Amino acid sequence: VGTGGGGGADWAAVCDKFRAARTLSSVESRKDPETEPYRSKYSARALLQEVKQLLSAAEEGGEARLLAVRRAVLEYELGVNHTDTEELSAGEEHLQRCTQLLEPHRLSPDCVSLYIQAQNNLGILWSERDEIKTAQTYLESAEALYNQYMKEDGNPPLDPSEHFMAEEEKLTDQERSKRFEKAYTHTLYYLAQVYQHLEMIEKAAQYCHTTLKRQLEYCGYYPVEWALNAATLSQYYLSKQCFMEARHCLAAASVIFSQAGQAPSTEDSEAEQDQQDLRQRKAEIARCWIKYCLNLLQSARKLLEDNVGELDPDRQLELKAQRKKEEDEKENGRKKAVLFGTSDIYDSVLAMEEKVSSVYPLDFQEAREIFLVGQNYVQEAKEFFQVDGYVTDHIEIVQDHSALFKVLAFFEEDYERRCKMHKRRIDMLEPLYADLNPQYYLLISRQLQFELADTYYEMMDLKVAIGNRLEELDSHTIKKINSLAQLAIKYYELFLDSLRNPDKVFPEKLEEDVLRPAMVAKFHIARLYGKLITSDSKKQLENMQTSLEYYTFLVDYCEKYPDAVHAVETELELSKEMVGLLPTRMERLRAKLCPFI
Amino acid sequence: YSFSVEGDTIKVYVRVRPPSEGTVLTDGDQGLCLSVLSSNTIRLHSKPEPKIFTFDYVANMETTQESVFSSVAKNIVESCMNGYNGTIFAYGQTGSGKTFTMMGPSDSDKFTHSLRGVIPRSFEYLFFLIEREKEKAGSGKSFLCKCSFIEIYNEQIFDLLDTASSGLFLREHIKKGVFVDGAVEQVLSSAAEAYQVLTMGWRNRRVASTSMNRESSRSHAVFTITVESMEKNNEVVNIRSSLLNLVDLAGSERQKDTHAEGLRLKEAGNINRSLSCLGLVITALVDVSNGKQRHICYRDSKLTFLLRDSLGGNAKTCIIANVHPGSRCFGETLSTLNFAQRAKLIKNKAVVNEDTQGNVS
Repeated sequence: VGTGGGGGADWAAVCDKFRAARTLSSVESRKDPETEPYRSKYSARALLQEVKQLLSAAEEGGEARLLAVRRAVLEYELGVNHTDTEELSAGEEHLQRCTQLLEPHRLSPDCVSLYIQAQNNLGILWSERDEIKTAQTYLESAEALYNQYMKEDGNPPLDPSEHFMAEEEKLTDQERSKRFEKAYTHTLYYLAQVYQHLEMIEKAAQYCHTTLKRQLEYCGYYPVEWALNAATLSQYYLSKQCFMEARHCLAAASVIFSQAGQAPSTEDSEAEQDQQDLRQRKAEIARCWIKYCLNLLQSARKLLEDNVGELDPDRQLELKAQRKKEEDEKENGRKKAVLFGTSDIYDSVLAMEEKVSSVYPLDFQEAREIFLVGQNYVQEAKEFFQVDGYVTDHIEIVQDHSALFKVLAFFEEDYERRCKMHKRRIDMLEPLYADLNPQYYLLISRQLQFELADTYYEMMDLKVAIGNRLEELDSHTIKKINSLAQLAIKYYELFLDSLRNPDKVFPEKLEEDVLRPAMVAKFHIARLYGKLITSDSKKQLENMQTSLEYYTFLVDYCEKYPDAVHAVETELELSKEMVGLLPTRMERLRAKLCPFI
Repeated sequence: YSFSVEGDTIKVYVRVRPPSEGTVLTDGDQGLCLSVLSSNTIRLHSKPEPKIFTFDYVANMETTQESVFSSVAKNIVESCMNGYNGTIFAYGQTGSGKTFTMMGPSDSDKFTHSLRGVIPRSFEYLFFLIEREKEKAGSGKSFLCKCSFIEIYNEQIFDLLDTASSGLFLREHIKKGVFVDGAVEQVLSSAAEAYQVLTMGWRNRRVASTSMNRESSRSHAVFTITVESMEKNNEVVNIRSSLLNLVDLAGSERQKDTHAEGLRLKEAGNINRSLSCLGLVITALVDVSNGKQRHICYRDSKLTFLLRDSLGGNAKTCIIANVHPGSRCFGETLSTLNFAQRAKLIKNKAVVNEDTQGNVS
């Protein structure tokens, strides 16, 4: 590539103008006053027009291809300038002219990068017109061109800015390659957004993943930001139950994050603020890990439970046999596609991954290992998110901790020990609930009420099951069952009370978001009154009466609002049954109580 | 019968300002991009089809300050006296009349001015109600009003009542909810005093905006009054406390390219060019899958965090969307109306803030 037909001095002036235009556009424009937001951009535009004039003047003696390429560079710059200043149609014209000029040369090393960048900008332009499909075609063709070039040539191509540089200023191959790859990374990032807008979520995720991967490869990233992105992406994989991918993202996030922590710190308040931010980010990543452990355990539970929610031993054996096969076959294929990192990072990521499994735990021992990892991250997250200052975050973490215990209890065979795990949940949630002001934390407050109620309910069921194994219920067990039932009732009632309006009236019609919990609360209270054990028949009759009232509520409500039926089908069916049965039972009890009436 | 849901959704009001002086409107609607059809509908002259928007209330160019206050703020101030939290937002592009609606004419600090805006009128009304309550209840009831005034600029919080302080932090307290740590709180005893504090802070805001110049309209200002009432009934002390937030949002223009929207309401979305916004795209991917356990590392903006209660929370909230009718403002007006339309979808749950202490035992 020669310097072209320009006489030295003239050409140098042209290059200067071009460079000045670029500086105006990218540096100066940031300082423009609000009243004239595009002042520098307009000045840059004028300079570019001048360069274009000078170029036309030189046209006669020049070499046709070289001139065409230089004109394409100018069209590109003008195109970007116009789109930046919200003149989309003019911008489009310039960008189109650029690609037309380059069309025959688009695979050659001096044009390929420019052509890709022009297409990137056409993609942006069409997305601004809300024509995402058109944007997609430009970006996908940029992607294809990159792949074709890398396959057929692959040498570091010229950067578009070099067309207006003196020979001695030209870039090194390394720098060229860096800039070219960066332009392509942008293509992929824009495609990620396009796919997201088109709701091709899986593809969007894949392109986000690739963008992260390339940022790492070409060192174009801030460690903290990158780590947070990777950790967040893991949460996408969790929602798709792709635990291997989720773990890989998290392991990479932790490894890259540790690089950021090593930055030297000075002793001013700003540095202290930075440290504070770092600690928060670390805690955020820990919270992503907690969700990982929780999801893995909960998914395993779903696979293993029978129709009454208990561990199914046949299913357990079956899955254990299946596991070995799957591990070897499936994962290896998927693994290649998603791995992050160059060799030195890669080893650390692998080491990090080894600390926790990514396959479903199938027995208590395996579940416990995942639980413990999750619990460690709970402690780490809580170190930063303390209740004083971070109420919402703190409680969310404690709720996760409680959920970890809940799912671990599923794997525990011993009912007494299982009961103790639920007690641990109560112990962590109850004091938080007691302090919480529902004026500001209504939603969390309701969540806690409901969870506490459910936990007591579950403990009561366990105590009943333990009692059933005994020959005869001892008074201690009876007391325990009754007190757990009363506590469950108390929290369900608190939850229901929170739905009342300022005049303490329960809503005639329940809002969609609280419909199911409210109905379940009513249903459970009905059941709980049925479970209370008393030797006093009069008291028993009263309890049955209360129970009947709550069952009746469900039945009446669904009759009045048939829309509600879908939310509580099973509960409604059982309630109807009870509404049919209870009066007869009560009649019998009454007869026993006063045989002479 | 109908079950009242009043106060459950965010109320949205639109106010159309008159075109600036000196703009001569030649023939009829020429030069205007919209017309007010009724007290709650507005027609935007978009092409090819005009668009009709419906809101809770539309104030046309002739609507007086007094009537804007009556339809928008009166009810919220009353609720505040009854123990609800209330928030009034002003939204719109720079020059659409936000300040005029909220404060009044810019050249006058006098809160007796006949064109004074929603804020001074709210003060007057609040203290009027307090005095009335006190007279009714005699010595059994007392009130304490405090205020704070902060500015959110560039995701940093500044205290407008204490210009010496540097950036402040948002924190949460298990009893008090979200608060700005270290923000000055001033006790108020009259409407005039409240107005004085407000204008003093407002002037500080203008100072802040000159030193940072072009970004001025990107700052949000939040003026908060805490009203605490204490009522003794035999041995039982009833304490009610509520907040009234008056929020002047940053100009709505030019936010599309920063993604620093004050209110997290999803935009249709164009391509974001900056790789450092990759996280936003990823977050959107995770958002889609609901019902699953997940954690998203990106915090809400400072403003949404501070006013979390007011947006889909536990408060009575209204938004005044201000628009300029000029056809040159078509794009901004459309986006403001679209925003206001979406805001209507946010549901609020209001609960009385009552705490009973010292039960008779």
